[in-house]
Parts: sequence; C-alpha cells; structure tokens
Amino acid sequence: MTGPSPGTLSLWRKFTAAYAGLLSWLLVISIAILVVPVTLQIFSRYTELIPSYIWTEEMARFLFVWSIMLGAMIGVREGTHFEVDVWPRMALRPAAAVRLISRLGVLVIALVFVWAGIEFTRFAWNRISELAELPLWLIHMAWPLAGFTWLIFLGEQMLDDLRILFGRSAL
Amino acid sequence: MSGSVLSPGTAALILFGLFFLFLFLRVPVAFALALACLPILLIEPRLSAMTLAQETFNAYNSFILLAVPFFLLTANLMNVGGITDRLMLLSRTMVGHWPGGLAQINVVLSIFFAGISGSSTADAASQSKIFIAAQRKEGYDDGFSVAITAVSAVLAVIIPPSILMIVWGGILTVSIGALFLAGIIPGLLIGFAQMGTVHVYAKIRGYPTYPRATWGELGKSLAISLPALTTPLIIVGGKVFGWFTATESACIAVLYAGALSILVYREMDLKGLHYALLDTGKLAGLALFCVGTASAFGWLLAYYEIPKTILAGVSTWGMGPTTTGFFIAFVFLVVGCFLDAIPAIIIVGTILDPLSKAVGMDPVHFAIVGIVSLAFGLVTPPYGLCLMISCSIAGIRMVDALKDTMIMLIPMLAVLALVIVWPDVSLFLPRLISPEFLR
Repeated sequence: MTGPSPGTLSLWRKFTAAYAGLLSWLLVISIAILVVPVTLQIFSRYTELIPSYIWTEEMARFLFVWSIMLGAMIGVREGTHFEVDVWPRMALRPAAAVRLISRLGVLVIALVFVWAGIEFTRFAWNRISELAELPLWLIHMAWPLAGFTWLIFLGEQMLDDLRILFGRSAL
Repeated sequence: MSGSVLSPGTAALILFGLFFLFLFLRVPVAFALALACLPILLIEPRLSAMTLAQETFNAYNSFILLAVPFFLLTANLMNVGGITDRLMLLSRTMVGHWPGGLAQINVVLSIFFAGISGSSTADAASQSKIFIAAQRKEGYDDGFSVAITAVSAVLAVIIPPSILMIVWGGILTVSIGALFLAGIIPGLLIGFAQMGTVHVYAKIRGYPTYPRATWGELGKSLAISLPALTTPLIIVGGKVFGWFTATESACIAVLYAGALSILVYREMDLKGLHYALLDTGKLAGLALFCVGTASAFGWLLAYYEIPKTILAGVSTWGMGPTTTGFFIAFVFLVVGCFLDAIPAIIIVGTILDPLSKAVGMDPVHFAIVGIVSLAFGLVTPPYGLCLMISCSIAGIRMVDALKDTMIMLIPMLAVLALVIVWPDVSLFLPRLISPEFLR
C-alpha cells in the first residue's frame, strides 16, 4: 500500500486529535451554559430580581441542539455510538473487516449530512428565529459540520482497519 | 396513502428490513435508523435527503428533551461531589447487616439514586465502578455482582424523576406529574423484589454480611444524608404541584446537586466539574442523536400510516384490557432487546397508543407498563445498555452475567405482571395526590 509518508500522516493525526480536543471543550462549555437560560427562566417567574426574558427558552433549545451534534461528532471518533453486537469474538483481521463495513454505513450518512446539510443551511440563510431573532443558519450549520467532522475521523479509522486487514500494524 | 410512490407494505419492508440488516452489520443504531430512511427519502419525489436533517432538527429543537442532559449532569455531580458516598454510608447502616450486605447496599443505593437521577445508564456506570470491585474482593461471584448492579440500575427510570417518563409524557401527551407519582410504588416493589433475590442468593452461596450498625450510626448517617434525601421531594413535588416544568425540575436538580457538592459536602473541584460536564455531554449526545434519527424513522412510519396497518391486524384479535396489557408489555420487552428506550417510545409507543385507548386502558397505566417493560430491556441482550456498561467495567463478557441476570429478572417480571393485572398499583398515588391528572 502506498500511502502518505509517515511524517505527514502523524501531522494529520495530531490535527485530528487537536480537533477532537477542541470539540470536547466546546461540548463542556455548551453543557455548562445550558443551565443558565433555564435557571433564568425559573428565577424570573418567581422573583422580581430579573425581568422575564422570552428568549431564554429558545436560546436553551439552540444550545442544546449544538451540544447534541457535538456529542455525536465526538462519539464517532471514540467509537461509542451504541451498537448491537451479535457477532462472536473474532480474530484481528475478520474483526477489522466487519468494522470496515459498519464504518461504510456511517460514511454514507456522513456524506448525506454534508450534502443535505449544506442545502439545509442554505435554506435557512435569510431566516431568523422567532424569539431571539438569531440567524437560523447558525444552528443548521451543525449538520454539514457534523458530516465533515465524521469524514475526518472516519478516514483515520478506516485507514487503520485497512492496515490491519492487509497485514500491516495500525499506527 | 395517495400521492406516494411506495405502498405502505413496501415502505415498511424497506424501513424495517434495512434497519435490521444494518444493525446486524454492526452499524451503530443511530446511523442504521438513518440509513434505513435514506432509500425512501430518495425514491419519494416529495421527500429528499434534507427531510432527514429537518426531522432530526425538529426532534432536537425540544425543550422537553433538554431534561436528559440535566439528569445525567445531576448524576455526575452527585458522584464527583460526594453525595453518592453519603448515600452509600446511609444504605450500609440500614441494610449492611443483612445476608449479602454489600449487594443489599447496592440495591438500596440504587433506590436512593433513582429518586434523584432520572438516568439508568448513569446509575449503572457509577455503581459498577463502586460495587463490582468491592464485591469481588468480598468473595461475590462476578456474574452475580454484574447482574445485581445492572438490574438495580433500571430502577432509576422507574422511580421518579425519570427521563423515560418525561419523554413519554412529551410525545404521547400524558401528564408527567402523574407519571412521576405512578412510578413510585412499582419502582419500590421491584427494588424489594431485588432485595429478596439477593437474600436468597446470599443464603445459598453464603455471601458475607457487615456487623449491625448502631442506632446512633444510623441516625448520624441519616442526618448527613438528609440534604441529599430531600432532592426527590423538590424535583417530584415541584413537578406534581406545577411549580416547574419537567425540564425546569431537572435544572433544579442540577443546581441542588451542584450546591450540595460545593457548599455542603465540599468535595467538588474543577477537575471533577470538567469531568462531569464532559461525560454528560458525551452520553447525552450519543443517546439523543439516536432520538433524532429514530424520530425521522418514526416520521416515515407515520407518513405511510404503517402503525395503522399493523394495528388493523392486532385489533381483530379481540383482546381485553388485561390481555392487551400483557401484549403491550411483551412487545416492549422484545423491542427493548434491540432498541434504546427513547427511540422505542417514539416508534413503538406511538404505534401502541391507539390500541391501549381502544380497550380503555388509562394512559398513565399504559405508560407505566411500557416504561417498566422498556426499563427491563436495559439489561436484556443483545442491546441492554446497563448490562453492557456493567460488563465492560467489570471486564467480563455479557454471556457470563446472563444467567444471573435472567434469574433476577423473574421476580421483577412478576411485579410487572402485578402492575398489568392490578392498575391500582400504579394509579393509586396519582389518584390520591392529584386526581385532576387522570382522566
């Protein structure tokens, strides 16, 4: 197999690792912030301390959408998306073959998310949300981004599987 | 349906056929659901691949589902902030001197945990880390330790608050407050059934016990745990009496668990907080992403009116309310073996809803039968999340814990049968406290 030289490969892997780290931090931050608008909503109802903001509910929902998509992106890299395992324990190579097939399935959905996601984002280009009046493409963007992210992570994983399948050790 | 290229039968064959094929090929459940939708979205001229993006977006853009990350975060905060440790000490002073003391503590802690957290997977993850190694050290068999930790974790979604009840209430428009109250007695009964099972195991296998705690020790640990023990009252009470919405009550749970960890028990540090947030985000992302694609799948089923077609066959069987109850439980138990509980509610719950209404089952009773059955699905292979988590933490294969899990399920199934045959088991409390929630 003639692939990229080890030097560029490790640079690429450094990039994906750093990217995954960035996504993890964004996820931590969005979960932490998620508590804020809902708390504001409760306090504004029962106290006079703050006015009752109408956009809290919407902001919470949009942040929530982003945190789901971020979690789903990281899940592909870590291989933690739930799956049903009915196969017996297999040797290294057949196991890699089965993994490759299942990753092809994820790959198809990643491509669909990129393709349909771009259309989905363009569709929302000139629209704003009802309450907070945020541009909607900011939220719809999460779909094509998830697709691209999966492609990046899948490329790395499928390369490893191919190496095992053809008798080279994974990097 | 007029205007569509495919007939409902063909569409159902494609949807379910592809879904099971991809599951078999080990494509993750969330992606298998999306893949099954894809050919239909491309064939039908009125639909397109963008429908997938739109339907997943619609599913996530929901204030009710926001309760899921909040309950996961509550559970994580309890673990890193020392609340779980206090409750464990209390459980030990209560039941430690019974045969199989540590395993009894395992069940009792799950009951306490269930009253604060609404997530079984969070319970299974945290208690497996606490108990399995400890039980191994005290001479319990691995299969037994894994099984009891996993089956007791399912209490978290039966005893309120519960993520499943919030999702069920949101999707099938049932009062979440009524569901919370209705889950209490069945949940406690299942917990007691598990303690009975542990007792029998301990007697036969001679599992160890702890010395009996003095009344003073019991009182002391009760006093220490009291702030944590009031959490269920705040969450469930707040929802039942209409002070907060379900999502807000979950947010209150986060704030309360955070305040206890930082101000009262003072065990939270920045590292713990970061871990709690990251773990919550990851688990919520995995579980809820699947809800999105399941919603798209369910939306297509509804588009072709497939549920109606399936039910047309079943309703000619002429089942009474009790038989229907058993039928519903059976369907959910089988589906729960293959599917996560939330997508199962979205897809199967909506299919069975008209059936339960046709025989005059109370919607709350129907919900509890469904939720308890789906909760049992968390420990049944091939897709039993709680059992998977416990096994992976214990480092054993699922097959090795299967026998003990099945034995422990028998008394739990007996409680389920009781809940089906005798609706008052679930309906008594909601009728007593808030009759306006029932029909």
